[in-house]
Order: sequence, then structure tokens, then C-alpha cells
Amino acid sequence: MYPAEIDDYQRPTSIAEALAAIAGCTDGDAMFLAGGQSLMQAIKSRMVRPNCLIDLQSLPELRGIDLSDGLVIGAMTRYVEIAECESIQPAYAALRDAAARVGDRQVRNRGTIGGSICWNYVASCLPTVTLGLGATIDLVSAGDVSRSVPAVDFLIGPFETAREEHEIVTHISWPKPPANTGSAYKKCGLVTDALPVVGLCVSVSLGPDDRCTSARVAVAGLLDGGQLVPAGGAALIGSDGSAESVAKSMDAVVDAVETHSDKWADANYRQQLIRTLGSEVAGSAFARARSS
Amino acid sequence: MKNIRVNINGVAYQETVPVRMLLVDFIRETAALTGTHVSCTYEGVCGACTIHLDGEAVKSCLMLAVQADGHEITTVEGLANGKELSALQQAFNDQHGLQCGFCTAGILMNMTEFLDKNPDPTDDEIRHGLVGNLCRCTGYVHIVNAVRAAAKSRLSEA
Repeated sequence: MYPAEIDDYQRPTSIAEALAAIAGCTDGDAMFLAGGQSLMQAIKSRMVRPNCLIDLQSLPELRGIDLSDGLVIGAMTRYVEIAECESIQPAYAALRDAAARVGDRQVRNRGTIGGSICWNYVASCLPTVTLGLGATIDLVSAGDVSRSVPAVDFLIGPFETAREEHEIVTHISWPKPPANTGSAYKKCGLVTDALPVVGLCVSVSLGPDDRCTSARVAVAGLLDGGQLVPAGGAALIGSDGSAESVAKSMDAVVDAVETHSDKWADANYRQQLIRTLGSEVAGSAFARARSS
Repeated sequence: MKNIRVNINGVAYQETVPVRMLLVDFIRETAALTGTHVSCTYEGVCGACTIHLDGEAVKSCLMLAVQADGHEITTVEGLANGKELSALQQAFNDQHGLQCGFCTAGILMNMTEFLDKNPDPTDDEIRHGLVGNLCRCTGYVHIVNAVRAAAKSRLSEA
């Protein structure tokens, strides 16, 4: 399948140039191109038909992982770089779990975290993990106007985000994590590394008595895309991470979300996946919190 | 139309191409290097068009040629050193790691970079590395054998 005609391609070398490039295009005519692992498929299938592509590959300020104060990941940082970054804190290790299992090696060599959250595909891993880990999304627009949006407000719904057409996501960031905090992510797909039929992200912070003092749970693969499930996080508070208490909190997750049936999994099976994956993922998150 | 410069297997190509031209079509039709294959109607699922972009395995049907401007590309034609096959190519020959051979170029490109990064992989790691390459003939057993044999021979030469 070939793309439809595309009039123009620009490769700016600074954020200011990129913003000027999109300002110079007719509204709705131009799209930013990150790694292109979703966008190129959408262009070929005519789901989107941009007349101008503004390629962000030559903006070094959008690349890299900075651990000097919390965690700041440039939007153009690729899955492979996140998956291989062993110094990412245990609190944010769910990012590595997810990035290491997106698509396949070739996709991970090219696809980016910023592209993933801006595309916000209905069944996807990184948007769900940004919800589960409480990320902040940093955006910039013309005149060096910047704003920061919590992931839960940024990710509006499938294929929809709070990013305006003329804005660029620059970074995805997290504060320095509290002590004894760990997270994990795991999905179940139809084949290895496929899109999540269900995916679970769990983050826990432990108090001095080794019990959970705060937690977040997010679920991927729901009809409305990835969802933060506050009831699941609340149910984990006080848990010592034992299989029994974790299972109870996953029951709360199942009660709080609406699962749907499609050709891949029926609603009951999705609920079972939430329980099974959730218990495993919460166990990993507790173990990481203890080792942090 | 855009003017681009791309190095493929050490040869510089400077061409004016339509923006919508896919990199795989530039490689096959403009550079006339037909070792890179197209199988899944360009959907990015089969991996037959895998090449190296600046040394890393990527699918050339999920990129426009203009995105490769200024980059180094290696295709399957660039793996051998003259008539001397690479360790992985030799292992595919020795282990009968192919039947029809259509997917082989993409697998060689992907797993060459895989072995560069992970020189002594387990069978599970090899199979996980192959997720992005579909083979409809072999059932992958001989492919995994070939990658394992190549790892061994690369380690013994190192």
C-alpha cells in the first residue's frame, strides 16, 4: 500500500523551526512525524492524509533520558533506549517492562514514547503506563509558550489528546520518587509483544512497616483505551503484598472498570486477565519497592 | 519532490524523489537492490523489508525515503564481504535455515543486529528477537538453529 500524494516534507533542526514550520501550514494539513511506526500505517491506509510532514528526527533536545532530578524522558526517545536504560528507578520500571515488549525489535528501534502517547491508540502500552505512573506531559508552542499537563488530563481518549495541533510534546517527566516505591507492567496479547488485549500497570509505595501507603493502578485494552483505576489503587493501601490481599485489590479493579467483548476476548475473560496479570504485576511492583 | 542523499552499502545515491515514496521502494526501484523484499503489502508486520538504518534494524516500508536523507543504510547485499558470507549467512546455509527464502533477507538483517547486541543469546531470546519477522515455511526451528550456530561461530572467531 502506497501513501497518497504528500506535497511537502520538512526536517527542522530546532524546536523554534519546527513550530514555525507548522505555523506556515494550513490548519489540518500538516502532521508532526516522530518514529512513524503507527503514523506511516495510518497514512498508507488513508486514515489520515497530511499534505505536509514535519519530521522531528533532528531535534536532539527531544531525545534522551535524564535521571538527575526524577525522570525526564525526551519525547523522541525510542522504545529500545527506554527498555535498555538500566538506571531507570524501580519506581518507574514499568516503563521498561512496557517498552521492551512493544511490537518487535524493528519497531522498538524506531518508535518513540512521545509518538505513542500523542497517537494514543485504543490498545497501547505506553499511554497506560504514563497514567499508572502519574506522568506529566510537557508541551511547547509558538513564542516559547510551554505548559505541563498531567497524563490523566492529556490522554483524553482513543486517538485523542490535549495536544493542540500547533504544540509539540517535548518531555514526559516524573518527580524524584518517594522511598520504597516500585512499579511493573505486563500485558496479554494474541501473540508475543502484540497490542494488549489487557495490560496492567501497578505502582506502589511502601511505609516503614512494609505495607502499601499509596498505589496507582492503570488498565490497558479497555473500550475507551487505557484507564487509571483509582479504586484499584485505594484497595492496595495497607496491603503487605501477599497474594491474598493483592487478589482482593484486583477484584476491586474488576468491579470498577467496564470490560467489553470483542473477537479477541469476551468481557469475562478480560476480567480474568485483569485478576491474573494484576496479581503478578502487583507482586513485581512490591518486590521492586522493597529492593529500591 | 525532494532531493535526498543516502548511502546504501557504502555507495552514495543522490536522487530527487516524491515525498510519498517509501524507503523500500527507493531501495528496490531507484537503487535497484532487490534483495530487500516486500511481502505484507507494506503494513509493517512481516519484516521482509528489514534493513539497517545507521546500523539498527528497521522496517523500510514504515519509512519514507526522504526520512533516510543523510543516513547510512545497509541491505542484505551489504552483509557479505566480497564472496565471503557473514557468519550468520553461512549458518543459514549450513543449518538449512530457509525454505523458499523470501523472508530470509529481513531475518538476516534483523538477527545480524540482534547478535551484535546480544552475542551469546538463549533460544528464548533468539525467538523473542524474531517476533518481527514472519516465515511461513519453516516453523522457525532451523532459523533458531542457524542463529544459535552463528552466535557460536562469531564467538569463536572473536
